[in-house]
Amino acid sequence: MGGEFSFETTSSDVEVTWGERLRDFYEEFVYKPGLVAWNDRRTKIGGTILAVYVLMATVGAWLYRTPTSNQAARGLQPFEVWSAPLGSTGSGEDILAMAIHATPSMLIMIATGGVFATGVAVVIGTVAGYKGGVVDRGLTSFSDVMMSIPGLPLVMVLAVVFSPTNPALIGILITINYWAGLARAIRSQVLTLRENSYVEASRTMGASTTRILYKDIIPNLMPYVLVNFANAARYVVFTSVGLYYLGILPTSVANWGLQLNNAYKQAGALVGTGALYQLVIPMVAIMGIALALILLSQGLDRVFNPRVRTRLAGESESTAGDVDDETTASSEVMT
Amino acid sequence: MAIERTQQRDAIGASDPVIRMNDASVTYDEGESYVLDGVSLEVERGEILGIVGESGSGKSMLASAMLDAVPNPGLLSGEITYRPSDGDETDILELSQSELREMRWEDISMVFQGAMSSFNPTMKIRGHFAETLDAHDADRTAGMERARELLSDLYLDPDRVLDSYPHELSGGMTQRALIALSLVLDPDLLVMDEPTAALDLLMQRSILQLLGGLREKYDLTMVFITHDLPLVAALADRLAVMYAFKLVEIADTREMIENGGHPYTRALLNSTPNLDAPLEEMRPIDGKSPAPINLPSGCAYHPRCPLATEQCREEVPGYHEGVGGAWRGVFPPRRGDQRNSAELRRLAR
Amino acid sequence: MSSSDAEPVLSLSDVEVHFESRSGLLDFGDETQTVRAVDGVSFDLEERDVLSLVGESGSGKTTLGKTSIGLQRPTGGSVKYRGHDIWDVRDGNSDADITWDEIRQSLQIIHQDPGSSLNPNRRLVSILSEPLQLTGADLSRGERRERIYGLLEHVGMTPASDFADRYPHELSGGEKQRVALCRALLMNPDVILADEAISALDVSLRVEMMDLMLDLQDEFDTSYVFISHDLSNARYFTQHGDGKIGVMYLGELAEIGPAEDMVNDPHHPYTNVLRWATPDLSLREAGEPPMRKIDIPDPVNPPSGCRFHTRCPEAREACRQESPPDYHHDGQRVACFREDDDHAYWDSPELTD
Repeated sequence: MGGEFSFETTSSDVEVTWGERLRDFYEEFVYKPGLVAWNDRRTKIGGTILAVYVLMATVGAWLYRTPTSNQAARGLQPFEVWSAPLGSTGSGEDILAMAIHATPSMLIMIATGGVFATGVAVVIGTVAGYKGGVVDRGLTSFSDVMMSIPGLPLVMVLAVVFSPTNPALIGILITINYWAGLARAIRSQVLTLRENSYVEASRTMGASTTRILYKDIIPNLMPYVLVNFANAARYVVFTSVGLYYLGILPTSVANWGLQLNNAYKQAGALVGTGALYQLVIPMVAIMGIALALILLSQGLDRVFNPRVRTRLAGESESTAGDVDDETTASSEVMT
Repeated sequence: MAIERTQQRDAIGASDPVIRMNDASVTYDEGESYVLDGVSLEVERGEILGIVGESGSGKSMLASAMLDAVPNPGLLSGEITYRPSDGDETDILELSQSELREMRWEDISMVFQGAMSSFNPTMKIRGHFAETLDAHDADRTAGMERARELLSDLYLDPDRVLDSYPHELSGGMTQRALIALSLVLDPDLLVMDEPTAALDLLMQRSILQLLGGLREKYDLTMVFITHDLPLVAALADRLAVMYAFKLVEIADTREMIENGGHPYTRALLNSTPNLDAPLEEMRPIDGKSPAPINLPSGCAYHPRCPLATEQCREEVPGYHEGVGGAWRGVFPPRRGDQRNSAELRRLAR
Repeated sequence: MSSSDAEPVLSLSDVEVHFESRSGLLDFGDETQTVRAVDGVSFDLEERDVLSLVGESGSGKTTLGKTSIGLQRPTGGSVKYRGHDIWDVRDGNSDADITWDEIRQSLQIIHQDPGSSLNPNRRLVSILSEPLQLTGADLSRGERRERIYGLLEHVGMTPASDFADRYPHELSGGEKQRVALCRALLMNPDVILADEAISALDVSLRVEMMDLMLDLQDEFDTSYVFISHDLSNARYFTQHGDGKIGVMYLGELAEIGPAEDMVNDPHHPYTNVLRWATPDLSLREAGEPPMRKIDIPDPVNPPSGCRFHTRCPEAREACRQESPPDYHHDGQRVACFREDDDHAYWDSPELTD
């Protein structure tokens, strides 16, 4: 099927070396997104805060002592003693240690919960939106059923029945039906994306559905997905804290919710201001990570916008030669 | 058509101008780049003036300037005077915001590009008219009567259209309804920016013919902006060509088409396929129109002009008057150049 | 140019495409509305041929175009590629020695809107590698790049290495359309459907794009189905490509014939109306439209008999009752009773509403 067209080019740099490929990869997936991310103040702040948490979870948990009773004098106020900088509980546990050691499991929960919820939502939403017809109706009905089961009671029941202790499993448990609303939203996004001419062009070229979803639909969905990943993560944070606070999840895993419970029940933190610090410190920890996630989600959607990427990297642009620069409405011929 | 096409007059100036623009410029970045460069023109009362140019030539900016509606951070300078038939001259740039609001739609009305999305999809057409009338404190009953008359002038069924939502109407019907809306307050001047861009050929042509009828009946002056020269040539009395944010030629329509002076005008005429020209004469224009920050020295068209000389590269040409028209170019021929204007024009084809 | 002995590349026979609006789960007893977008159209497309489909919106030209390249399944009639019914091949009912994949790759498209015809998240080199990878051409990465650069240079986008690394938003509208053309050509297709491919470009760029398409037609051995609402563009394109213009109205082919004949000697009254509507530089007065009504009828309820009878200036009673067949006149095919000197049309009263 070769035509008589001669594909000669005057370009000399046609061969691509491995070094160039590596550099291209680095530029595309690390440097440029990083540049865009860093450029936005929200992402900068959110990313920094998250980095602090990660440090706490890795270095901090490794170096700092684990919380046990009687490791410090009982009922110390914050900043009283250097060895327990944030004070201690009624049974002598170091509060800072409790906060630090709750972080790794929290991060794992967020990671698995977020990935699970977003992953399932993307798969179901994309296939339903793109395929349409029977497949769409089936998947949508399934998501609708999952969505209509009340989330929190379901999780509570499952938590009581299965008593999971692995943070990864807990993350997935918490988002067990959270993905349904997201799948719906992604499906409507896909319905819009599907109408783009480049999707029809790919179909005309004979690309398989998987290829189209992977190359044409999902990359253009990414800003939306990232934002919702951060939201799912926040949901995991609040729900897990709540469940641990209520004592529904087994207390063998350290969690800020347990600290809250402790503070409320044991130390009577709401009675008088004496033990208030025991409540405030885990709350700050929770708010901190929620804030980081919100900021990240707001800033991250710009990363996947190719216009922002190229503008910041200083690439060239042609001058426009269209009939209409602003709206594409008038370029469609209508009745 | 009411205006005699053979009427000779000062091409740029008009005997009874309804709008006079003197050296109007729009700059961005504190004068670093111009998106409208020293445009002077006068629109004769009762005429239809067609403004033609590629996208990026500044024609839409010219329309916005006429209503002092240049979007921020652009700065509009120069003198733009509006002369109503029964009142004093007003400098549009001196008006306050509320005076401008009054003037827009009551004296000078505009139909924007991509206007079909101008309608609020949750409101019936009747509601749009009512809202406009109320916003200008006009008499509702008289206004709606006028609206019905306008709609039927535009071959629309007034009852049906007024009671419809915008999405229930076809593109052509929506555009006509929008034209009716822009005329409901009886303005003197109607400025239209690509009003027929997204429409079918038949609808485009029909609307042009309807506009001609409206001009007759309501004593309107019209400015019709488009990139499609053949389209507006059938309707306009005079044509003005814009290139690189300057006005390069303005002339009676017939004059321009038969004897257009500026090389760009000729190139434009030759590059658009039309049914009458033999196929061999059609040629695209080489090169691209310049960006605001990248204007060539001297005459902005010289990189693409087959007749460019050293002088074209260095000096910005002034206006050269001709029969029925005026254009910028380094004409007349210099001393010693045996070729006359007509030959030079033929060479520019 | 076109050899009439060989099997035509595309052959459409009595093609019908009817869309039914589906009633929802809770709609009781409402009749489903059928839009008869294409209602009995036949034509042939030879190798290296050009066919322009001209008409208003709602004429069905886009639907017909997409049906002809296999993107839309017809509800009636047949679409044959080199003699093989493409949908039989797709369903596995054909004993032809050609696969659906091969057919799919030979029929390509260029869209109207340059803004959405390229994936905004992919660089040009990636967009243009796709056809090369899909056609299974066993090329190394370097060889692919070589082809891509070569074609980009040929369409005037130099330096090719600079352009290849750009994203679509860094290109002008004209450049995007040229990339879409390259993408279609890299599939090495037999037919390209240009669906209003130049309508979104500046008027002065259109000739350039059409010249490019015709220039590459010879090199790549491709035929074009050129959809346009503008008769002068269609005429330019078809005449240079030595092809035919087909005028569509409400799902039917009113007239089809060689470009110059259609423009200079139209037989169908609707073709005449299109001529009137096409802007030219003759400065004739716009005048009254040569139609009884400006607005096109609702395609859900097309008029009886000849569909144009509600607007036709020459319509008579007979037109309302019967639908005209195709009459042949020199090289043209016309669906109008006026071609038949003996028809009852000439005796029936005129319609004057």
